[in-house]
Formats: sequence, structure tokens, C-alpha cells
Amino acid sequence: MPHSTQLENERVATGTPESEAGVRVVRRHHLLVRFSHWLSVPILLGLILSGLSIYWASPVYKHKPDPLTGNVDPLADIGTWICAHVPGLHHYSSPPDWVYNHISLGPGMLAVALRLHWLCAYLFILNGLVFVTGLVKGGGWRSLLPRRTDLRDAAKMFWYYIGVPFAKLTRRSWMHPRFNTKYNALQRVAYFSVPVAGLLSVLTGWAIHKPMQLYWLTWIFGGYDKARVWHFWLICLFVLFVVPHVILVLADGWDTVRSMIVGWSTRGQRSENFSQ
Amino acid sequence: MNLEGEHSASEAGDTSTESVSPQKPASFFQERPPQVMKVAPQRLRRWTRRDLLLFGAGTIAAVGAGVALLPQTTLKRLGIIHENKDWPRKEWLLNKSLRIDDDVAEALYSRNRLVPTYTKSQITPLKNNYNGATPAPSYIPEWHLTLDGLASGLSVSLNIRTLLASFQVHEQVTRLVCVEGWSAIAWWAGFRFDDLLRAYSPMSHAKWARLESSVNLGPWGNPDLYYVSLDLSTARHQQTLLATHLNGKPLTVEHGAPLRLLVPVKLGLKNIKAITRITYTENEPADYWAKRGYSRYDGI
Repeated sequence: MPHSTQLENERVATGTPESEAGVRVVRRHHLLVRFSHWLSVPILLGLILSGLSIYWASPVYKHKPDPLTGNVDPLADIGTWICAHVPGLHHYSSPPDWVYNHISLGPGMLAVALRLHWLCAYLFILNGLVFVTGLVKGGGWRSLLPRRTDLRDAAKMFWYYIGVPFAKLTRRSWMHPRFNTKYNALQRVAYFSVPVAGLLSVLTGWAIHKPMQLYWLTWIFGGYDKARVWHFWLICLFVLFVVPHVILVLADGWDTVRSMIVGWSTRGQRSENFSQ
Repeated sequence: MNLEGEHSASEAGDTSTESVSPQKPASFFQERPPQVMKVAPQRLRRWTRRDLLLFGAGTIAAVGAGVALLPQTTLKRLGIIHENKDWPRKEWLLNKSLRIDDDVAEALYSRNRLVPTYTKSQITPLKNNYNGATPAPSYIPEWHLTLDGLASGLSVSLNIRTLLASFQVHEQVTRLVCVEGWSAIAWWAGFRFDDLLRAYSPMSHAKWARLESSVNLGPWGNPDLYYVSLDLSTARHQQTLLATHLNGKPLTVEHGAPLRLLVPVKLGLKNIKAITRITYTENEPADYWAKRGYSRYDGI
């Protein structure tokens, strides 16, 4: 809250028509969008950790039982392989559990995992509503709507991102495709898909959580077993999004990271300072 | 306070922030031009500092909440803690979320909504998911069902022949869904729980049934009483059966001979096998799996 004296000082400072002390900033993210964006990080982490523990109780993907161990779970095979081949893990106490011990709450924790999953799931739904409210209130939803040219332009952007490391290494110039929207086409495809994937995660979640009372929802996703497969792959989609998302945002610079915290950016259009 | 708040301040005459570039968009869906503001550097620094501090505080709070909510075994394995540091309110909080979910399930339940049925060609294998050892079939000849908490105040004992002779047998091919995530479509036959409730009416204030199996065994073959709670509204659902047959044959011990509960609107763990006693109660009775951290209502 500005003090009245401080306010006076600023008035004096900016009193002249051509303000020498003014910084031009662009509004980028509504407060509610920023809030729900960051809150989704711990919530999604909780959902993934507990979700994989739930998965362990009855894996979606199974192969024929191993003649020696009776194991049917490919994730257990991966754990066994890792412990056999990665130095320092040869004495790991339970190799088949290695994957579950590292990206879930752990195996055999179904009751604990279910409670945490419901807690996070309800928070995820509420958080999603906050996010959508922020998009509507700030008008940011318009920047996420897909356009007819998006697929072609997204391919161009993808090609650009693939080429950047090589261009840097060979010190060749590598032009950033030009656009005059808040997001480039690839960003738009991604930032539009992720909320949709969030909605689908919630819907498939309800489809497998209440397959009797909400049987029509389960039916939409092709039945109970297929809904589980959908639910599983949707979370994989989130992980696939997050990895390049974090890399690209960090590569884009502090202004982009900060804009999701403070809401504004000192850059006008994205392409303005990018290609240089 | 956010930019929006500061912005409305500018409209109230504060000239340190001002909006530039209002342009009429061509359509409702068209992206609006970026909203440019002119802000005094001092003020921008103050906003940035405030927001970054808030963000840092939020991060610390989130990490704290994560460590507080994650199971102790997980944290110990990750080397974050070395001794038990559970706090009493944690169980309360997690159970609360479980209760909310149960309340949602109860709100979704309707006695008139039927679960999907399948054709016999869609039947899938049903595994024996007895948590402990499967009981030896020697209990079957001596088996009888005891009813308690009846309006008559008496305790009634019924054998399987009497039960099958007294009630009409219904068939249904429905899906049984396990809390573990697997499910199976099976062809069941038996009489309706509702018919039993009509024939032997429970005491007037009863809202719950406690079903137990005294023949249930623990993992080492030790006797381990299995008991579930079932709300009478669900018990009166027309697809809630006291099943006697699976796939056209009398139940085998693996599937709870001679009488098991088949309640497709609940998780598999409520579908108690080899029922030996049903007690009607006014208050919610205890539940085997609820005692072990699972939910109590288990409506699906």
C-alpha cells in the first residue's frame, strides 16, 4: 500500500508529461493464473507419487508371468534391470521395487496412497477452477485458443527448437520464426492441451472412481479398463509436457520465469528480443 | 495486492501507472493486444520484491506440507527423516479427505440407478482374492446364517436349503471392481438382500447392517474375523444379492460358499464371502478395511 507521502513523491517524479522514470511493462498472467500454476506443482507431484503406488496394486500393463519370479509387471523388470546394471545399486534390497521406491510413495501402500490421492485430486479440481477463473478474469483464455495455422506453425517452432543447440554449437545464425501473438504456435498448442489434459484426467479419474454411478462417463472412455489406461497415459502426458516446458522457460530467461510470479513482463512481443 | 489493484489505483488519479493501447478487437475470440503499463522503477522493484518473497514463502509452505503429509516410510527411505515424526492431526486431515470422498459417493448413490449389466459372452475370469488363506471346505456342512438386530428381538438361524427355498433366485451379469484397480465381469445368481430384509425385518431404527464371516482366515491360516458395514439403503438396492451361484454353479470355497454378498455398487472388499452373521444396527458398525486405512462407505 503506497503511503500518501510516497505517492506525492512519485507524482512529483512523474509529473512531467514525458516521464523519464517510467518503465513500460506488459501484463502477462492474472493473479489467479499464477497462483494456480504454482500450486499445481505440489498437487501434481502428490497425484503422481500416490497414483503410481495405486498403479502398483494392479498394474495396467502386464506380461506373461516370469517363470522364475512369477513377476508380471514391466516396471518391476525395469527396476531389476537398473539394479543389475547401474553401479552402486547391486546390493539394493528389493530390485523389483526400485522404480516404485523412487517415483511413488512405495509399493504396498495402497490405503495411504488412496487417501493422499483423493486429497490431492479434490485440490486439483479446485485448483483447476481457480485457473479457469483467472483465465476468464484476465482474458488470457483468448491467447490459448487454437488457430487454423497452429499445426504448421507449431511444426516450424519445433524445428527451430531442435535446431537451436546445433546452431549455437556451430555458431550459425538460426532465425526464430516471427509471430505477433502472446504465445508462439507450439506454446499455444501445449498450453491449450495441458488444461484439456487436466480436465480429461479429472474425468477419467471419476470414470474409474465411480464406474457404477457415473457409468455413462466410464462408457465414454471405452469402459472401466480403458478409462484406467487413459488415466495412466494422461499423467504421462503431463510429465512429457513438464520436462521441455521447464527447459524452454529457463532457456528463455529470467523475465519469463518472473512473469509467472509477478504477472508482468518487460518484453512487449515475444519475438522482439528473441532472434538476436 | 496484485497488478489489478494497482491498476485501479491509477484510474483513481495515481499517474505512476498508466494504461496504453486500448484497441477495439475484431471478434470476441480474438486475442487482445498486450496491456502495456508505465510503472515507476521504484514501484516495480517494490512489487517484484513483494511477489518474490510471497513466492518463496509459498514454496517453503508447500515443501513443509509435502513433508508433513507424505507417509513416514517414504520419507525414511528417502533419508529425509530418521525417526517417526508423525503428528496426530495428519491422520485427522487425511481421514477427513477420505470422509469427504465417502460423502460424495453417498450423494452420488441412487437406489433407483441400476449398474450396467453384461451378456454371458462378456464374462471374464474372477480370481480368488481372499486376503488371507482360503478356508478349507469343512465348514460348509455346518454352515448357517445368523440374523441379529431384528424387529422381533429374536436371533434367527437359517441354513442354505431354507434360504434357497424361501426366496426367489435372481441372475445378473455385473462387474465387480476391486479397490486394487482390477475388475471382473461375472455371472451371479442368488436372492435379493431386499427380500431377506422384508422377510426378517430389522429393528425400526436400524440404518446399517454388519456382515461378518467367522470362517475367514489370516495369511498364516489363523482365524481372522472379517466384517463389513453396509448401509441399508444399499442393501435394499435391487442388484444387491446374497449370492449362492457363480457362472451357473454353486459357489466354491474360493468365492465364498455357500453364501456371499454381491453388491456391485460397492468396491469388492465389501462383497464379503462366506457370510455367517448379519446384525442390523442403528449406528455405523466397524469395518475390517476401514480399520486398516481404507474408506468406509466404498460406493463406486
